[in-house]
Amino acid sequence: MAEKRKSLIKIKPKKYKDGEVVKVDFMVMHPMDTGMGKDKKTKEIIPAKYINSVKFNYNGKEITNMTVWESLSVNPVFTTNMKINGAGKLTVTFTDNTGEVHETSTKIKPKG
Amino acid sequence: MKRGIKIALSIALLSSLSFAGDQFAMSDADRAMYEEMLENNPADMMIANGSELLEEYCGGDAGLAAFFGVSEEKLPAYIAGFPRYLPEFKQVVGLDQALQGLMSKNGHKPFALKSSDMFDMSAYAKSIANGEKSNIDINANQHMKDAYALGEKTFIQQRGGRGLACMSCHSPEVIGTILRTQPLPDLSAKGNAPAATWPAYRMTKSSLRTLQRRFQGCMNNALLKVIPLGSPEMVALEVYLTEQAKGSEIAIPGLKR
Amino acid sequence: MQRREFFKQLGAATAVAAVALPTMSFAADAKPSGPNKMSFETALNAITGGKTPVKSDKIKIKVPEIAENGAVVPVTATVDSPMTDSDYVKSIHILAGGNSNARCIDVNLTPANGKAMFSTRIKLGGTQEVSAVAVLSNGEVLIASQSVKVTIGGCG
Repeated sequence: MAEKRKSLIKIKPKKYKDGEVVKVDFMVMHPMDTGMGKDKKTKEIIPAKYINSVKFNYNGKEITNMTVWESLSVNPVFTTNMKINGAGKLTVTFTDNTGEVHETSTKIKPKG
Repeated sequence: MKRGIKIALSIALLSSLSFAGDQFAMSDADRAMYEEMLENNPADMMIANGSELLEEYCGGDAGLAAFFGVSEEKLPAYIAGFPRYLPEFKQVVGLDQALQGLMSKNGHKPFALKSSDMFDMSAYAKSIANGEKSNIDINANQHMKDAYALGEKTFIQQRGGRGLACMSCHSPEVIGTILRTQPLPDLSAKGNAPAATWPAYRMTKSSLRTLQRRFQGCMNNALLKVIPLGSPEMVALEVYLTEQAKGSEIAIPGLKR
Repeated sequence: MQRREFFKQLGAATAVAAVALPTMSFAADAKPSGPNKMSFETALNAITGGKTPVKSDKIKIKVPEIAENGAVVPVTATVDSPMTDSDYVKSIHILAGGNSNARCIDVNLTPANGKAMFSTRIKLGGTQEVSAVAVLSNGEVLIASQSVKVTIGGCG
């Protein structure tokens, strides 16, 4: 674990029912350095540092996993859908190519 | 002679504005796609950070309201009136400078105006006013009148090697013309209302920036000497543009190219 | 990262082409590292196992015709699918043929997603075609592409 990374999970709409298909947005502050860029001042190559894996886990079941390459924008956003299937927790785990591992989660509370 | 060159250059600039026009103009569908991105603005993470910083260093929304001497209910409308003349500062200040004052009062070393922590915190503070209409009062007192006059002067003052002013690209006459693929924005309340949509996430910079920081970027590109953040001219420029966009609904964070 | 800097890097891509060539046998659980160089064809082969994708109305890609800047280009792929246990989209892939590494992201879905949609923002090193590829549970491979004009300009 390196420094704490700011990240955010959003469920849309904010209020949802069991069985409803909602949108899930996951965003994280990450430089997504491709390993080909140079530092403007030092002229040295900035080593590659990009998110290479993102996994969505809902109540212990992996619903989506992504292999990520260096072409995603800085501070990337990942949007998928998910079918609400009971109260619980959505956990997003992501790693980067330098070995950073992070986990963030949000409660899932369907109404009705 | 030198003046002649300057005029020739500004004419060249103006003609290039209309020239590039249709070739790269963006379609409505494309614009809509970029507007949709507001739903997932990476700056939401910075605003969340700013909220934590405000809690830690300024006592949160309540601390801010107490500092300004208003109730928490009145805080949003009060924030929507910045920049303001604050007697304890003896000058017209932006929200960021007011936050510096509060940090200092609470015994903390204030964040530098150009620090990302200050950008985050002042963006959160301004977002408290989301949904309110920008209500700056340039006639509130002589200080505000003076600031507005200085802002207008700064806006039209031609500077730098090319003799450009803010006005060169942002006068009402050139609104909508294209400068290197970008339509020149209408800065009034009817247009993109900078006073209501900054601080914003700059996609090309991958970071949250304030309006004054954007002015600096603009000056830099136009080869004008950059004016420091929080200086009387910079605050005055913010006052001037905020007045142009008065009445527009505040929606922070914005999302800009 | 500055936009101009970004274009420079992509321009420099050919110079570092020899570094870390990923092969088609890229294992399912291996993770990318370092700068990669992968052509559109190589990436597509790795995804489909050599199968030729079919152009279809069932898959839609939404990208701007003209991107305001190459650093942040919104892209959304949607596949028409019931997403049931017997009929669902197994994966959606976004490819940018003109980037030094054409492979942007591989998204593995399950019926628990409810809908087959994925949206993100990518970096584009210039005007090029962006594609969405979907692998369905019945083995079908669909593709949709659209070209994106990346403009260099504007103020800052």
